[in-house]
Amino acid sequence: MRIKIAVALAGCCLLLASLPVWAHHAFAAEFDVNQPLKLTGTLKKWEMINPHSWFHVQVKGADGKIVDWMVEGGSPNALVREGVTKDTVPIGTMLIIDAYRAKSGENKAVGRDFTLPDGKRLFLGGSAQNIAPPAK
Amino acid sequence: MSHKFPILIAGMLLTAVVVIGQQTPATRTQAPAAAGTTTKTVPPPAAAKAPAAAKPWTMPRTPDGQPDLQGYWTNATYAPLERAVANANKPFFTKEEFEARVKAAALQDEQQTTPGTTGDVHYDFTQFGLDKSQNTFAMDLRTGMITDPPDGRIPAQTAEAQKRGRDRTAAYRPAGGYDAVQNIVIGSRCIIYAPPPGPPMLPQGYNGNYQIIQSRDSVMILFEQIGDVRIIPLDNRPAPPLSVRNTMGISRGRWDGDTLVVETTNFAERPQGRNAALNGISDNFKLIERFKRTGEDTFDYEFTVNDPGTFVKPWTASMPFSRIKGPILEAACHEGNYGIEDTMAGARMADKKAAEAAGKK
Repeated sequence: MRIKIAVALAGCCLLLASLPVWAHHAFAAEFDVNQPLKLTGTLKKWEMINPHSWFHVQVKGADGKIVDWMVEGGSPNALVREGVTKDTVPIGTMLIIDAYRAKSGENKAVGRDFTLPDGKRLFLGGSAQNIAPPAK
Repeated sequence: MSHKFPILIAGMLLTAVVVIGQQTPATRTQAPAAAGTTTKTVPPPAAAKAPAAAKPWTMPRTPDGQPDLQGYWTNATYAPLERAVANANKPFFTKEEFEARVKAAALQDEQQTTPGTTGDVHYDFTQFGLDKSQNTFAMDLRTGMITDPPDGRIPAQTAEAQKRGRDRTAAYRPAGGYDAVQNIVIGSRCIIYAPPPGPPMLPQGYNGNYQIIQSRDSVMILFEQIGDVRIIPLDNRPAPPLSVRNTMGISRGRWDGDTLVVETTNFAERPQGRNAALNGISDNFKLIERFKRTGEDTFDYEFTVNDPGTFVKPWTASMPFSRIKGPILEAACHEGNYGIEDTMAGARMADKKAAEAAGKK
């Protein structure tokens, strides 16, 4: 459950503390605020790259077909400083992602929130060290 | 004019009030399982090193005998550049006030944005450890970094400088938005971080980390974001004529005792720095920086702006740099820049839809 902020504008201005304003607008140009998504998929690959990392997840549609999605996350550099490696989130880990779809209509999105099946937010609360490898 | 007096005062003030032994990153506490929200406690600040008991610190030197500034550093801080007007006569926060500010900022970073707003269309900084409270920052109790003028505020700009600043900003911001690569801000294009990481090296939003390497003849300062690099020759070569400009200016350095003094000129005519006051600098603008190692895990950084064509008075600011654990993961920005491609795909989709809609009329 998101903490609602009393003043809607604060949602925009909070990020100004961390980002130049233009970077903020860049995301709004790439992803569609009117296309929120909730993706549930398994991790195929996590590209730990800059400027932003990308999670490749396999999402099962209502028709049972597996569709590949790419979901944008943050720069991994701070996580790497904390000891996160490419093995930290095992391949096959299930992720529940609140996202906004790319304006291009492709199966791409920006990940507003990444959550593990136990409800823990990815990388927070020590979850980075405690992700159980998926059952084979 | 001798600059020894200001740096002496700045050094004294910093030593007196900056707890050397930088704040360690906030411990990430367990998320309450039900709500899926996180709480974070800010641990008490690291205790100041007891000067009396410790071995007296001596200046480490490179094999060439220069003071050693090498390593990985951050200038992340909660001290703003300028003092708030209300703090004109209040140079320091109390420790309690400082801790409250840090706590409030951490809480603000942690609070999530409102779904359905533009601000929500973004990954969460806290989740990726990018917010300041989860990284090393200086325990700087000052209410602002400016040490001169005494009110801690940037002096007024000349009318010409204000106009230059406005004109350059207008030319720099994307006109069409994000419909063509050329209209995308230069930082998103991975050419150089926008705003550039100095000089002066003002604290940046995230990944605000630096690596310094010294040789006999030059000092290299790498900034983490985009891997922007300054190379500062120490061999007294003159700066080139103004026909040669650089977004980060062109720097020349020398050692003045144990202080590295760097003078930078030849700035490109584009918006500069993290502070808009630097957007309208004149052709004669010269920035002077001073780096002085002050301890095992710190060095003091001071810069002076003295250009009557830009500011009606000179001004000086200083900040501590704190050591961080390396290495810096290469921020090979363009390698992973799917964003440009995706933004163009979105723009072309919008063009297509607009054309279809027009065709139907």
